[in-house]
Amino acid sequence: MKTLPQVLAVLTTAVATALVSTAANAAVLPAAQTQSNWFTAGAEAVAAKVAEARKTGTAKNIIFFVGDGMGVSTLTAARIYQGQAAGNSGEENRLSFETFPYSALSKTYSVNQQTPDSAPTMTAMITGVKTEDGMLSVSSESIRGNCLSSKGNELKTALELAEDLGKSTGIISTARITHATPAATYAHTPERDWEADSNLTAEAVANGCHDIAYQLVMDAPGDGLEVALGGGRSYFLPNTVTDGEGAKGRRADGNDLTAAWGEKFPHAAYVWNKEAFDAVDVSTTDHLLGLFEASHMQYEADRADDTAGEPSLAEMTSKAIDILKKNDKGYFLMVEGGRIDHAHHAGNAACALADTVALSDAVQAAMDKVDLQDTLIIVSADHSHTFTIAGYPARGNPILGLVHEPNDETISTSPSLASDGLPYTTLGYTNGPGAKTGAREDLTAMDTTDVDFLQQAQVPLSSETHAAEDVAIYAAGPGAWLFQGSVEQNVIFHVMNQAGALGGSKY
Amino acid sequence: MKLLPMLLLLLPTAASAVDFCPNSMPTQNWGIQYQLSGAHQGTLLLLRQQAQTAFYNPQNQVAEWWRFDNPQHPQFSRVFGEAKRRIDYYMGDLRTLGVQVSQAEIESFAANHLRQALTKVPQSDCAEAEAYEGDYHQVHYRMLWSTALQLPLTLETTVQGKVSRWQAQQFVNSADVTGHFQQWQAYKRTDFADVGDNEQDPFLAKMINQGFVEHSEHAAYDSRGNPLGNHSH
Repeated sequence: MKTLPQVLAVLTTAVATALVSTAANAAVLPAAQTQSNWFTAGAEAVAAKVAEARKTGTAKNIIFFVGDGMGVSTLTAARIYQGQAAGNSGEENRLSFETFPYSALSKTYSVNQQTPDSAPTMTAMITGVKTEDGMLSVSSESIRGNCLSSKGNELKTALELAEDLGKSTGIISTARITHATPAATYAHTPERDWEADSNLTAEAVANGCHDIAYQLVMDAPGDGLEVALGGGRSYFLPNTVTDGEGAKGRRADGNDLTAAWGEKFPHAAYVWNKEAFDAVDVSTTDHLLGLFEASHMQYEADRADDTAGEPSLAEMTSKAIDILKKNDKGYFLMVEGGRIDHAHHAGNAACALADTVALSDAVQAAMDKVDLQDTLIIVSADHSHTFTIAGYPARGNPILGLVHEPNDETISTSPSLASDGLPYTTLGYTNGPGAKTGAREDLTAMDTTDVDFLQQAQVPLSSETHAAEDVAIYAAGPGAWLFQGSVEQNVIFHVMNQAGALGGSKY
Repeated sequence: MKLLPMLLLLLPTAASAVDFCPNSMPTQNWGIQYQLSGAHQGTLLLLRQQAQTAFYNPQNQVAEWWRFDNPQHPQFSRVFGEAKRRIDYYMGDLRTLGVQVSQAEIESFAANHLRQALTKVPQSDCAEAEAYEGDYHQVHYRMLWSTALQLPLTLETTVQGKVSRWQAQQFVNSADVTGHFQQWQAYKRTDFADVGDNEQDPFLAKMINQGFVEHSEHAAYDSRGNPLGNHSH
């Protein structure tokens, strides 16, 4: 292991090399080039990259962020959205994790689909094995919706390996915590829709398959998850119970899994609103279950209007780390921005971008809490959406607005017109509810930046679809350097396994 | 205008032909059967039970079901009786779809706003009713409004010469109303937010590919929840 002076020496050499390189360029490049802010910033970026020392040690802690449906176009639009909200032109902004030193592209196809859903993609990321659509952490030898076929085909997850090592584990999602992405970390099922026992088929019951909510509490790996925060309360409550926000439970078996959580785990707490969440004492709470909605949590844009109040994704992440870090052996935490996907399905860019920024804020909250010398942070997505950034808008043009092209140093006051004589927005979808049969709607008098505005789309579908292009992976901390180039999505598990010495296999 | 009475006489079914003229609102669960005639035809049931209002088309068994138990966070379901399925929309879903929800409009057959927009005219066909008429958003309306039920007894629209007319015919009895709500409560439910992730579910795949029944048959409000003829966003 290098000592600090040695590291500094390497750093000094690298910076010097970069500066020499810049100086050498100065001899052949015109001053207008070398003195440009773009040029010097680019040179500094390379110098920093040269100086970057690989963290090859073991990651004691792993935090894995998943933006559901957070394709590359979503990241670009969200960074502009966040930058413009701060009063800047936006394009130069970076989401918190876009500063990470390593990244790669992830190929998201599943065993049976070119464009996947969240079940096989999260299974790939969390078990290292691709599977078929609709299945959670069982191999493609299983048949979707058939319990018996999944027996013996369960795939061990990174979270379960962490539990085996005595680490603390947690999951957070703004979707239901029984939804595909969080569920793949702790549950094994050939049908993602088996979230409550009332969703199970007769075959599933007969062959001993348990619903996902039940698996989280009653079949939990190791000594149980230390943190589970998100939506999905009704899947944990009997259908005879009405919860604090007026919604009925969905369980037909009479089990109150929120009560079972408290009975099964020591120093456990269950909360369902912001006030109770804020009151949780992390020093005395070892197992925290928070279910803040009957179904999915609110969109970030609506969170302030929630009846009982909900914590933000950043607040949940921060509290989770405070609980998990009490374990000297380390922890594994999965955090999902689950509603980016839903907003895209609805064809609503504003909500998708607000939720992406919320995920970025959660990553920042984690960065503020951890030491990247012993903590690996990975940020990725399960799949993309048909979300596009189009036209030739001027730099600084409102990302949710109509396309206005540059006009010398300013932005044209008149919107660009398409061949049908109508203006169009920068953001749009290939398909979805924003499409119209017949003539396109005239957007001239509309406020397209309104959170209720539906982007226009080409192909009319009631629900916008996922898309198949690669998604990005960003990483920082020990083992992050293993993310380079284009990789299959299941490689993410193998990096976590290697960097965290989870014991899943040897490389 | 002198021509108006003559024009009214030429209409296929005059607004004055009112056989159903209730003088009070039922105390139990209740509903109204509407008959649509003219350019469009069909039957629609408006069902009420406390804070719940539903529009049900018995021909295709499709219903649009609103719950206003928490008026700030209404819940909405599209019910598909043939498939015994329903799609639940939470407030956030409605907002992302640009649906502006008005409890007063839903409970009034999307006619409450018309009372402010139209002109009150004399009528003598129903003691517990008021008549309104006028143009609103390129649609000519004639409405007989029940002050007892706070609903239209007749609602007639004329768009580009085509006349459609909703006529309240009779009450739906309390047991039937209760039965519908109980039946729908037991249907398999899917959150709207989850529809896009369930393309392999044959029912939902059909919904994704063909679209939901956006306007329903009562056409009282459009797919974004705006009252008929009001296309503001």
